[in-house]
Amino acid sequence: MKAVGARLPRYDGLGHVVGETTFVDDVRVPDGNLWARALRSPSHAARIVRLDTRKAAELPGVHGIVTHEDIPRNVYGHLEALGVPADEPLLAEDEVRYKGQPIAVVAADSEEEAQAAVEAIELELEERDTLFDIRKAFDPDAPKIHPWGNWFPYFGGPDEGPDRRKVRKGDIDKAFSDADTIVQGVYRPAAIEHCPTETQVALVVPEASGRLVIYSCTQAMYFSMGVVAAHLEVPLNKLKFVGGTVGGGFGGKVDTAAETLSGLLALKTDRAVKWRWTREEEFLASSTRAPWHMEIADAVTSDGWILGRKMLTLHDAGAYARFSPYGLTKHAFHHAGAYTIPNIHFDGFVVFTNRVPTTAMRGFGVTSVSFAVETHISRIANTLGLDPYEFRLKNANRVGDTTPNGVTLTDPSTVATIHAVAEAAGDTLAPEYAAMTSEPRSGPLLPDHLVTQQRDGRSAHA
Amino acid sequence: MKLTVNGRAHDLASDPLRPLLHVLRDELDVTGPKAGCQQGSCGTCTILVDGEARRSCLTPLALVDGAEVTTIEGLGDATRLNALQAAFHQYYGAQCGFCTSGMIVAAHALLERNPAPTRHDIQTALAGHICRCTGYVKILDAIEAVARGETFTETNGDRQPGVEESVAKTGVSG
Repeated sequence: MKAVGARLPRYDGLGHVVGETTFVDDVRVPDGNLWARALRSPSHAARIVRLDTRKAAELPGVHGIVTHEDIPRNVYGHLEALGVPADEPLLAEDEVRYKGQPIAVVAADSEEEAQAAVEAIELELEERDTLFDIRKAFDPDAPKIHPWGNWFPYFGGPDEGPDRRKVRKGDIDKAFSDADTIVQGVYRPAAIEHCPTETQVALVVPEASGRLVIYSCTQAMYFSMGVVAAHLEVPLNKLKFVGGTVGGGFGGKVDTAAETLSGLLALKTDRAVKWRWTREEEFLASSTRAPWHMEIADAVTSDGWILGRKMLTLHDAGAYARFSPYGLTKHAFHHAGAYTIPNIHFDGFVVFTNRVPTTAMRGFGVTSVSFAVETHISRIANTLGLDPYEFRLKNANRVGDTTPNGVTLTDPSTVATIHAVAEAAGDTLAPEYAAMTSEPRSGPLLPDHLVTQQRDGRSAHA
Repeated sequence: MKLTVNGRAHDLASDPLRPLLHVLRDELDVTGPKAGCQQGSCGTCTILVDGEARRSCLTPLALVDGAEVTTIEGLGDATRLNALQAAFHQYYGAQCGFCTSGMIVAAHALLERNPAPTRHDIQTALAGHICRCTGYVKILDAIEAVARGETFTETNGDRQPGVEESVAKTGVSG
């Protein structure tokens, strides 16, 4: 426990300040490395009519080109371990579904020669209809842009259905008929690019034994190993990952980006291959935080109680599923925020669009719902003419309260957090609100509609 | 072309239009300057050319023929930190570390021409240096500490408490 409460130097701080930290791009190999570049889809959605790499392969400095035909297992899914089928090709085969989707990769003596070869690859596309707005994915005339339909259908596992995350609790119709007011809001946070200062990069060095040494900037070493092994159809002992130094990730380096294709190029050329994405590629083709569409309707009373919540969430997966069903699941757990709401009707969908696939970013799926819930809570307080602190404190999670998923809370921190916010903002709370604690509800804080929500949190804890 | 990098003289026969960043990193193995954007927008490749902060990704080799180039490696090393390096370490100005080389080099150039900058001066000098981790506050704090003359020992030993010392100070025990 020596570290708790102590102010410790960063374990890697010294290397950073003297420029000695070895990031992936700083690794040097004895005979140097080839450089990779990718042919990426110039179209948001298209059928690939023709792909011809023959002329490109003849250009000076070019050592190898990889297309989908060279990949032992091209289509792999991030959630296969949970039984979810695969949907995303490592390199596009017959269709491209987002602008920037990789179609072929080249290894050459220099980045310039690799780029020249990329530009010499002959590609013919037939444009398809596009879909970018998740709300429109449900319109009857919306183009069908993913083989599974416009939203993810495998929340139950390998067999189709259910097609959404569904949370039901209490008697939502009664809550809405008992309410004095219904307060509605729609919240649509946009995509965010993680934009690490270090772009996606990998260096793969083939060993004489056939093992690949993979220098990776991944945030998820063992997951990335599994992804590379799956595509290459090799056992894990054919891969040696070297990682742990990441030039900024924020969730954007969880999905495996450069490692697998660099590895395939290294195998094909029997040379070390480095693939360092340009800043343009990082913005165009690296995953982003998802755009979301959240509709909330709350049944509230004039004296400041939330009786029930109806909520619809659409999570933009982009063109392929990746981890989005997991992100939406976390979102579903948190959709009541830090407040106790006895009656719930929640539906959440993972929707496909012709955008770059989305991924984790600092609280996967949860930051979006926190933004929506807190904005909505303030909106309710404004509508009812109540103090936003008092409205929050009244409905705040208490020991023994139950969440929408039926979890009994043993150590909620909402009350303490709201108190800290008020103090930081220099706002004074009325004495009865300043004196509030997280202790189980009683008296005026335990109205009839919350009686069923109180369990013995202390015994649950024990 | 002749180039002195961190005190070492080099004679180079490279393409005169090659960006200095690539000459440093790929020909001379000086990897402190980073390829963050390679279009002059992020500041991770910043170096000193005859004492002036420059973006090495936008500096063709021919423009620096005969110049004296200093990178982060030329400012100090782990056993002999310069004041800015010590301050960045102590004030947690470096997180992932990828922008740090450029930040420290740019701050060094600032303090050379203006030893007593205001916080606004520092912000102006670092405009265009992107950090995605720290939120910049700790970086500004570190540079301000040097500017107001806070002293740091040559290594990270004394001013930067290790575990044992922290325990003694805070009374935390295991």
